[in-house]
Amino acid sequence: MARHAETAQKLRIDEQAATRYIGIAILALIIWRVITVGLAEGYPTSFWISQALNGMVLGGVYALVALGYTLVYGILFMINFAHGEVMMLGGIAGFFALQFAQGQGWMEGPWLVVVVALLFIMLIGMVTSVLIGMTLERLAYRPLRQAPRLVPLISAIGASLFLQYSVLLIFGVSPHSYRKPALISGGLRLGNVFIPYTGAIIFITSVLLMLALYFIIQRTKLGRAMRAVAEDRSTAALMGVDVDAVIVVTFMLGSALAGAAGVMLGFHNTVVKFNSGFMPGLKAFTAAVLGGIGNIPGAMFGALVLGLIEAIGPSALGIPTEYKDVIAFTLLVLILIFRPSGLFGEVLSEKKA
Amino acid sequence: MLTLETIHTFYDHIHALKGVSLTVNEGEIVTLIGSNGAGKTTTLNTISGVLSARAGAIYLHSQGNEIFAGETPASPGSRRPGDVRGESVRIEQRNDARRMGGCAVRLDQLPAHAIAKLGVSQSPEGRKIFSRLSVRENLEMGAFARTDTAGIRRDFARVLELFPRLSERLSQPGGTLSGGEQQMLAIGRSLMSRPRILLLDEPSMGLAPILAQQIFQIIREINAQGTTILLVEQNAQAALQVAHRGYVLETGRIVLSGDSQSLLADPQVAEAYLGI
Repeated sequence: MARHAETAQKLRIDEQAATRYIGIAILALIIWRVITVGLAEGYPTSFWISQALNGMVLGGVYALVALGYTLVYGILFMINFAHGEVMMLGGIAGFFALQFAQGQGWMEGPWLVVVVALLFIMLIGMVTSVLIGMTLERLAYRPLRQAPRLVPLISAIGASLFLQYSVLLIFGVSPHSYRKPALISGGLRLGNVFIPYTGAIIFITSVLLMLALYFIIQRTKLGRAMRAVAEDRSTAALMGVDVDAVIVVTFMLGSALAGAAGVMLGFHNTVVKFNSGFMPGLKAFTAAVLGGIGNIPGAMFGALVLGLIEAIGPSALGIPTEYKDVIAFTLLVLILIFRPSGLFGEVLSEKKA
Repeated sequence: MLTLETIHTFYDHIHALKGVSLTVNEGEIVTLIGSNGAGKTTTLNTISGVLSARAGAIYLHSQGNEIFAGETPASPGSRRPGDVRGESVRIEQRNDARRMGGCAVRLDQLPAHAIAKLGVSQSPEGRKIFSRLSVRENLEMGAFARTDTAGIRRDFARVLELFPRLSERLSQPGGTLSGGEQQMLAIGRSLMSRPRILLLDEPSMGLAPILAQQIFQIIREINAQGTTILLVEQNAQAALQVAHRGYVLETGRIVLSGDSQSLLADPQVAEAYLGI
């Protein structure tokens, strides 16, 4: 018996070492590729800076969506795979709000009117997403609270498909295009680097929303209750915390951020359609895993890293930009193999996924 | 203050409590002793709503009406959808109030958070400190259901006075405390809710004898300051020494009850629980 245990232990250590060596080899390959191909192309510095800025904008949007995944996971230990669709519906609602605002002539008004109109559009998107998120929790997840973990996951995938194809059925295949008001359609030119206004606005808004979320989680009574529920649901209930209410609020917060992201992505990509939430949703999930799912600063950091890698990666590796999704999902696979708890993850090891 | 009437609790098909009845009067320390698996923790969890009783009733009552005035006890209407028992609970409440003179609320139909809001505070077995929240935040969680800022601040000071060790560790995560400190924090957290009745589950478990003694001393102090306590303990000797009355639980049934002195003197108790 003792011999067997010893051998098993030794095998495990060998396996760990092997995984590490493979990881190092992959890393070395990537670095070699970057040096021999990416840097050899001789792009100017301003090109890299522009790409990095694009990456930061993308990262900001991913972060908003990733926070929704991580918040819900932190409390319920489930991945809300319909979260991308919650974002998409925020974008759709934002589109109609924008149309309404254009109909009223607000978008051609003085700048103050335009700003207020943009805030109004964002608010409509957020409110819509919040309502969808609450409905999802109530109908698709809460009845399955006591079920094995895989069950709500399947329910989430079902909800995701249901929302996508409902939108397809109601609004059609053709994309709804966001028309940017003149006020935010230009950009700043700093030397050879061009920063579109929408990009700057998206990044700043994302950061502000994240700061607001961080404040709520760390400094308010509600946030304290959320953290308590995340750690130990039944003890939190003993303190007088209405756990169901906290879970609903968690969905509301995550959905509000997703709604904002949906509207901003609409302005950034200029279109939104039934499957607009799918890819960003998966990317944001990747970002959340990268940072360590359940970890809030991790989600923000992971999203920023993913955005940067996606923007810089194709040029650095000397592959076509269309393959940026390949890079993102290869990264997901690599994290899951080499560091499943993510860059900041202690939650997984502590509470077992 | 607290009455259990023939409570039956199940874990799936396991019949854990087989008709437990007990009473805790205002100002008392009552202890529930018994060996492992007798159902002590199950009893506390049924009172606090972590588990729900399948049969029987639990009442929280008081002489005056002032206790439940102002708060909406247990708002039965806002519970699970499709639950039609809400109305009947309210009617029963009125009847019970008449029967017992004063005001009574039936607890066994309510969710845990509503019971906590009524002033039933449980310090759970194994302490259940929020390990990633700071000591201060743990204490603040205890006062979650309260809104009287001044009162909370007073109780915060009182808890730190009772457990000076905690005041040195306020900003530390709860998980970094030692076992004894965690027990102090768990009791302190319960006190922060200014409970009408404190349910203590194994407060001496895993503590060095000196620390355990200290904890029992503090239990006496808390009680002297006016808090009613239901104490569950494996250490029957120590529990009976601080308690006014006791119940002996054996495989889900109360087999013996009486004031502490007579239980301590009882040969049956001595043989089974005092290790004499």
